[in-house]
Amino acid sequence: MSAELVVVLGLGLGYFALLLGCGVAIERGRIPVRVTRHPLVYTLALGIYASAWAVYASIEFASQAGFGYLAYYLGAAGAFLLAPVLLVPIQRITRTYQLSSIADLFAFRFRSRWVGSLVTLLSLLAVLPLLGIQVKTLSEAVFHLTQSRYSDGVALLFCAAIALAAILCGARHRHQHRHDTLLGILALESLIKLAAMLALGGVALWWVFSGPQDLQQWLDGPGAALQAATPRLESAQWRTLLLLFFAAAFMMPHLFQITFAENLSRHTLLQASWTLPLYLLLLALPVPLVWWAAQSIASEIPLPAYAAYLLSSHWGVGSLAFVAGLAAASGTMIMMALSLSGMVLNHGVLVARPPEARSNLYGWLLWLRRALIVAVVASGWLFAEGISRDHTLTDLGLAAFVGIAQCLPGMLALLYWPGANRNGMVAGLIGGALIWLWGLWLPLLLKAPLPALVFIDLMPPGAPDWYTTTLISLSVNIVLLIVVSLFTRTSEGERSAAEACSVDAVIRSKRLPLEAASARDFQAPLAQALGDEAADREVARALKALNLGPEERRPYALRRLRDRIQANLSGLMGPSVARDIVDRYLPYRHDDTPGTDDIHFVESRLEAYRSRLTGLARELDGLRRHHRQTLAYLPVGLCVLGDDDELTLWNQALSELSGISGESVIGAHRDSLPAPWPALLAQALSATGAPLYKQPVNLHGRDHFLTLHKAALSGLDSRGGSVILVEDHTEMKWLEEELVHAARLASIGQLAAGVAHEIGNPITGISSLAQNLRFDTDDPALLETADHIQTLTERVSKIVNSLVGFAHGGRQALAPPAEPVALGQITDDALHLIHLARSGEDVTFDNACPATLMVQGDRQRLTQVMVNLLGNARDACQAPGRVTVEAGEHNGLVWWRVTDNGEGIAPSVKDHLFEPFTTTKAPGEGTGLGLSVAYQIISEHQGRIECASPPSGQSRGTAMTLWLPLYQQDDRPAHGQDTDC
Amino acid sequence: MYVYRLLLFLVFGGYLLSPILMGGWNEPGTAWYRPFLIWGALIALTLWLEQKRKLDER
Repeated sequence: MSAELVVVLGLGLGYFALLLGCGVAIERGRIPVRVTRHPLVYTLALGIYASAWAVYASIEFASQAGFGYLAYYLGAAGAFLLAPVLLVPIQRITRTYQLSSIADLFAFRFRSRWVGSLVTLLSLLAVLPLLGIQVKTLSEAVFHLTQSRYSDGVALLFCAAIALAAILCGARHRHQHRHDTLLGILALESLIKLAAMLALGGVALWWVFSGPQDLQQWLDGPGAALQAATPRLESAQWRTLLLLFFAAAFMMPHLFQITFAENLSRHTLLQASWTLPLYLLLLALPVPLVWWAAQSIASEIPLPAYAAYLLSSHWGVGSLAFVAGLAAASGTMIMMALSLSGMVLNHGVLVARPPEARSNLYGWLLWLRRALIVAVVASGWLFAEGISRDHTLTDLGLAAFVGIAQCLPGMLALLYWPGANRNGMVAGLIGGALIWLWGLWLPLLLKAPLPALVFIDLMPPGAPDWYTTTLISLSVNIVLLIVVSLFTRTSEGERSAAEACSVDAVIRSKRLPLEAASARDFQAPLAQALGDEAADREVARALKALNLGPEERRPYALRRLRDRIQANLSGLMGPSVARDIVDRYLPYRHDDTPGTDDIHFVESRLEAYRSRLTGLARELDGLRRHHRQTLAYLPVGLCVLGDDDELTLWNQALSELSGISGESVIGAHRDSLPAPWPALLAQALSATGAPLYKQPVNLHGRDHFLTLHKAALSGLDSRGGSVILVEDHTEMKWLEEELVHAARLASIGQLAAGVAHEIGNPITGISSLAQNLRFDTDDPALLETADHIQTLTERVSKIVNSLVGFAHGGRQALAPPAEPVALGQITDDALHLIHLARSGEDVTFDNACPATLMVQGDRQRLTQVMVNLLGNARDACQAPGRVTVEAGEHNGLVWWRVTDNGEGIAPSVKDHLFEPFTTTKAPGEGTGLGLSVAYQIISEHQGRIECASPPSGQSRGTAMTLWLPLYQQDDRPAHGQDTDC
Repeated sequence: MYVYRLLLFLVFGGYLLSPILMGGWNEPGTAWYRPFLIWGALIALTLWLEQKRKLDER
């Protein structure tokens, strides 16, 4: 073994050790996530598009077609420039349905495992020549550096290292993981490749030439003849090449996976729309420089692909070219192995042998995947050893690119023509692929041209094989796709998948009921297909992704759960197998009722796509949102139910009234609502004609009276269902009761007026008799009794006058006399009267009012107020009770407070405390007029009453505080008092 | 979304006109870096459109 070979081996293995170190650093978190998930890392990982073709075949192609080599870079740049209209829609579909390969995408769209298998087979055949290029360039690069006969063996060793790297990066874990490590390693490879290529360009420009001007002088002078001798690409051939590389940029299996399945977000993809073209520009720049430099050095270049090795005899320059080629080949082969192994697994192995319920499903799939990775890399090596040697890199690469371009008509139909069906797709693909195999692939295999194609006469004479084969195969492909699709039947499943895939289309999902009644019911049927462990994990994973709980029962949520499980299984086993499992084990319940559109789902999709709508669609969406908001913010409760009793709308007012958020019940069945709503809504739905008026219901512990109006949603384009308007008439009901109460009060007032009139005469008689008694006796006890009788009769007269005044509109019958009165004295009088009642002996009364504190008013009426307050305070106290009367001055007002240590006043009573006939006493013990009369009297004295229960700083009791104007010496009597009329 | 239409116009226009441009690149006396300058200008335009799209969707 030569020393050069040992050095190359060291260089290559050192390179793989560097990749391994980078992978370990990412796995262990040594490199921050903000770096590994940066959009630039994704762009660099996309740089695997630049395979060994970019390093070697581009120079070869430049030697054959001049600037025509740029088609490889500009085609891919064009695809990414169109990312918003081309790649983002594909990304949306692949992310939504967890489709990781181009075969998954086609199998999903055309609802056919045959389409998936066919695309997999075509991809495998198309990729083999490209794999062959990678291995061939590795082997030949080693040979150019070392001239060793062991170069093939070294290439095999590198292939083994690449297979190992692919397994470590993409098939190491049993469960699916984000491939940060994979992206990081591919980005590093792209960076090394770019640095090596720029260095080679630098060598060519400043080492071989003396700078840009020297190069230009060479091109205009000695090199002009060489450039003039370089063949030119025809316009049509140039355009065809652009188309081929455009298609390859996102449809080659490894590029599809890195572009869509390993993508971080829509934002990163959009950013790649200009960063990837920039990367490709930098990579394309050194290619002509290297070629021109080699031309300027050597008059004869037998293998233009390896012109970089002629730039200098310095070993470092050759090493740069070798490292660039190794980085390009290994990155491409790693991704090819991962993507093709997944495709063969999902659309070959699992279709031929569906997974059975096994205890270790994930492990089984993992080992299958690893074996397939090794098989893909080995097939690339075998292809290179057996076939690639006898062909140029350009021939091999173009055969691969034309092969994969056969998927382009199907891809465009997938995005833009919902009318395409699986028959058309299969016919077009088979037709195009057969022509491609005959025109390009089999000649590679047989190393000899086959008889000319039937349409060859239509092509320009002397056109290269790749050009004629491309035109004929794509034409046949497109014609078959269109014609067969137009004349054959499209299944219902294909139609819905076509809507899901079409640009600007929204899936009109049907609202079908599932057999499973809750999320928990998903596990057992799935276990029959996947085994207990996998079923548990998949259900839990889907629930977590949707933020649902295992007790979820809403039909809408269960449908989303089913979709999510299908999408997750699709990522694991491909869409065909996933669909079979879900259809069989999580079926819909098929009854006679036709499924209606899932409006809520459609709306959620519309919300997500809003920014993509333009023109009339955007205006219509604006109107939809306006009407939606009108219903959502309607100040009256509103809900909409489908014909299957599934709730499709629950507006904000109804959420506030019911305490049930719309988010938690939209998509739920009516019966799953909390009480009393199921019964109430059922009653409304079954009612015919008149609304349900003032239905008593208890919501959050309070009685409510709800009125429900119903309307059936029918007519043209209607999706059926009913709308129910829920009005809260609780307040109105209370007002009605108040009205009745007020009418009753008015009647009682009239009655009281009559009674008062009748009582007035006997009272006057009693008063006269008491006065007479004072003249008839000298007994002090009798005289005192007579005084008391007279005082009490005066008080009765006042009460009678009050009743009459109340009955006549709440005004005092007579104007109150305004005189200065001492609050201490009034309090004493009131206490004296209270004591006469001979009840409340266990209650202690304290009069703490200052004797000098005076107000201006009617002594009798103020005494009446105090008697009422003291009476209430006494009745509220339990033995031993204590009632305190205090008074004081504050800001020109007098406060006069009665405080007891009783039980206090209930909040419900407190709101109506001063209304007539409000009482908590037993029937016959209180009229309910005491505080009402007190309120009236104090109001007439320009004062107010405040109630604190319990008083501030106390745990129980009540404080009634009267606020009255302070009497001052210069006060004049009040004028303009109302009089009874 | 209107930005996307501009992109479509740009890319398909470039696709159709590119053979004319390529003919110029191969003429003697043409600066060797001219294709890369045009390409760079196209990238700058895309970057500008991308910024505009972000503003549109905000």
